[in-house]
Amino acid sequence: MLAKSVIEEVLDAALQTGGDFSEVFVEDRYVNHLSLQAGKVDSSVTGRDFGVGIRIFKGLQSVYAYTTDASRDGLLKAAKKAAEAIQSNQVISRLPLQKEVISSLHPIEISPKEVEKLRKVNVMKKAYEIAKNYHSSVQQVTVRYMDEEQNVLIANSEGKFIEDRRVRSRMAIQSIAARGGQMESGYYAPAAHQGFEFMENMNLEHYSNEASRIAVTMLDATPCPSGKFPVIIDNEFGGVIFHEACGHGLEATAVAKNNSVFANRIGEKVASELVTYIDDGTLKNDWGSINIDDEGELARKNTLIKNGILTGYLIDKFNGRRMNMPSTGSGRRENYRFAPTSRMTNTYIAPGKSTPEEIIANTENGIYTKYMGGGSVNPTTGDYNFAVMEAYLVKNGKLTTPLKGATLIGNGPKTLQLVDMVGNNLAHGAGLCGSSSGSIPVNVGQPMVRISEMTVGGRKGE
Amino acid sequence: MNIKEFKQALFADGVEAGFSEMELYYEREETFHCELFEGDIDEYSTSEVFGISFRGLYEGKMGTSFTEKLALDSIPFLLESAKENALILDEEEKEQIFEGSPHYGEANFYSQDLAEVPIPQMIQLLKDIERYAREEDPKVTGLDALGLTNTETERALYNTKGVERIEKHNYMELMLSVVIKEGDVIKNAGITKYTKDIQSFDVKKIAAELVQEALEQLGPKGIESKSYPVLLRRDTASALLHTFSPVFSAEKAQKGQSLLKDQLGKEVAVSQLTIVDDPFLSDGVLSRTFDHEGVATNRIEIVKDGVICTLLHNQKTAEKAGIKSTGHGYKDSYKGSLSISPTNMYVKPGTHSFEGIISQLKEGVLITELAGLHSGANQVSGDFSFAANGFYIKDGKILTAVNQMTIAGNFYSLLKGIEMIGKDVEFALSYTAPGYIGSPSLLINSLDVTVE
Repeated sequence: MLAKSVIEEVLDAALQTGGDFSEVFVEDRYVNHLSLQAGKVDSSVTGRDFGVGIRIFKGLQSVYAYTTDASRDGLLKAAKKAAEAIQSNQVISRLPLQKEVISSLHPIEISPKEVEKLRKVNVMKKAYEIAKNYHSSVQQVTVRYMDEEQNVLIANSEGKFIEDRRVRSRMAIQSIAARGGQMESGYYAPAAHQGFEFMENMNLEHYSNEASRIAVTMLDATPCPSGKFPVIIDNEFGGVIFHEACGHGLEATAVAKNNSVFANRIGEKVASELVTYIDDGTLKNDWGSINIDDEGELARKNTLIKNGILTGYLIDKFNGRRMNMPSTGSGRRENYRFAPTSRMTNTYIAPGKSTPEEIIANTENGIYTKYMGGGSVNPTTGDYNFAVMEAYLVKNGKLTTPLKGATLIGNGPKTLQLVDMVGNNLAHGAGLCGSSSGSIPVNVGQPMVRISEMTVGGRKGE
Repeated sequence: MNIKEFKQALFADGVEAGFSEMELYYEREETFHCELFEGDIDEYSTSEVFGISFRGLYEGKMGTSFTEKLALDSIPFLLESAKENALILDEEEKEQIFEGSPHYGEANFYSQDLAEVPIPQMIQLLKDIERYAREEDPKVTGLDALGLTNTETERALYNTKGVERIEKHNYMELMLSVVIKEGDVIKNAGITKYTKDIQSFDVKKIAAELVQEALEQLGPKGIESKSYPVLLRRDTASALLHTFSPVFSAEKAQKGQSLLKDQLGKEVAVSQLTIVDDPFLSDGVLSRTFDHEGVATNRIEIVKDGVICTLLHNQKTAEKAGIKSTGHGYKDSYKGSLSISPTNMYVKPGTHSFEGIISQLKEGVLITELAGLHSGANQVSGDFSFAANGFYIKDGKILTAVNQMTIAGNFYSLLKGIEMIGKDVEFALSYTAPGYIGSPSLLINSLDVTVE
């Protein structure tokens, strides 16, 4: 992607003013976005991102420069401009670059670049037909398709020189059902760190039907009651609750500066003993998976909470300095325009022993949420919120009326203590997580989980 | 290589490849960004990036592609990708390459002074804020965000129908959040401000107000969960309007995804409400004289005295509606496909002061922070349910901070339930939707409030 000699020159130029670490991140990414509206392709865009990020550390100071000018002169100019921020006489020399070759954990069978647009459109049209024909009240279906191939090269003054190819594919199906003047929508967006084989092998029937089923079901939903209830959150994307309630608070970005409710609490009981929380970037071909992180560290499985006890954080190189702890392979970024920081990959609650049937049967009066929307958290206070896409009222151990318009709010550390049942049906769901190093692909996951009390905000007072 | 040479080569090769009309759009952006932590520079970054997008008519259909590599070897990639993308489209309404507006407004959106602010001055400003915040109250433990970004963008559009437009703009963004601690209780309060004049940042005042805001959140109480009159402070009113701003897009309306479809000329809001889109706003972060298709921009009133006068259009939606584009063709930078976005859009200020609105309120809830805006809104129905922080108002006075809440309602009903409009407009950018959106504080007759 770039000549090794140029990279060496840039790493050296970056260290000239006394930095103690320099790094070059080169990215060459091809993307395809297609959109199908009312059965017709209404947008198709192809593009190529190409840029370089240069990072320098001096103690606890981090300097970053990025540019699309990848010429030798352009890069040296950027490196020098960044180095101006550091002024020290202690100039160190870097270690010689040692090329590391990795074998991919996530095999790619069909490169999306080699697949004709028409084949991609055919899969989209199939999804459209299934979703549209689900029910006569389905009025509109939008199908979006995305694939990308991101090639990265990471080299640093500690001698690292490593390359990786990340191929990702995603399809998003949105259905809108209408009756009278009322409109409701349903959404499903499966995704993987995989090539076009993901599209060809995916269970289109299931995803397309689910998107429409949610929309149609919600036409009959009544406004969610508000108040405090036991809440059952089903598996897969339901895991977004722990992503917000606890995952972000375990990122070194917040922990290193003491801006997290979980800072300095390793070894303490921070959750119900039913909770084991894991971040695993090695899960084969999963959407949030990586071979190496964006600092060139190998992906790994990090256990963050074990049986309720806090065991670890997600750490990148820079925040690791402040914390005096090594990287956990968690340094990620959207693209070369962001300096990497600690982020999640595939994060999930480990399965427990209860069956989903047991959990529901044991709930007298509560809310069951089948699919969650997105959410957010204030890591400093731990206050989180998220939206519910599909929910039901639970009465005497049985699912009853569908509910709409619910938002769940709470405080992460408190909620973790209130987990009183964990199911045995672990599954993962794909999402995009936005934070200081941009928007990155992550999976959230869990089995069905019950929380003994949560605040549910809806439009119907109770 | 320079952009003009690239354009000539691209258009020449494009004609040979069979494109009948073509357009080249580019953006070049330079940024400086700096963050402080405990008085020291923690993050510092500089950038210079460049990207181009290509649109070309091939067999009557519009193909789109983009690249960040300004080199002759990018040309085959741009042309071949655009060709393949054109052929796969099966939409009936067609995009066109624009022949140019008869008149373009003249304006300067670039501040030389802002471009020349020395880096040490920006760092000093951040240091001052941190010092003022800490001096303000001993409960302040620090800042969990303190950063400043200076951005300048040059954008240009050239096409084979003779349009050649180029302009530059710049702005500065200041982001900070202070943390206070009392016993085990931690609270924070943050703000993002935008300007074209660094002198306009009264950092002492900004720091003091934020610390005050964080302190006021201490000792929150539960109040009854029910419907209340809700005062949305200017920043939360703007955030709510931002989240629902896509409903003003003609694209959404034509696709049946906005309930403003077929509402032109009808009353959609209280008669005091006027919503303006002003691409020539002098402090506007998204000011521009031409949109992403090269169409001249103009100040328009979207809602006037409660009546919806127009939606926001690009060429394609305008043609479908049988009118002229309003100049709101938009692409996410040079990437992405062409859609629609407001520029600097705002609710026209009323006459009431913020304090004045509070003082006449018998009972109500003041909202000072909203969260979960990206997930708690149903764009299609207008229903929303957001996490919120704020205060309980009784007999014209702020009585207490309230535990974390949700506020729920419907955007379209809210427009008809505005009782008072403040005079205190504040603008912001947002991750929920494009546009630089402003609003004064708004008193809403009733929203459902659930308290933790």
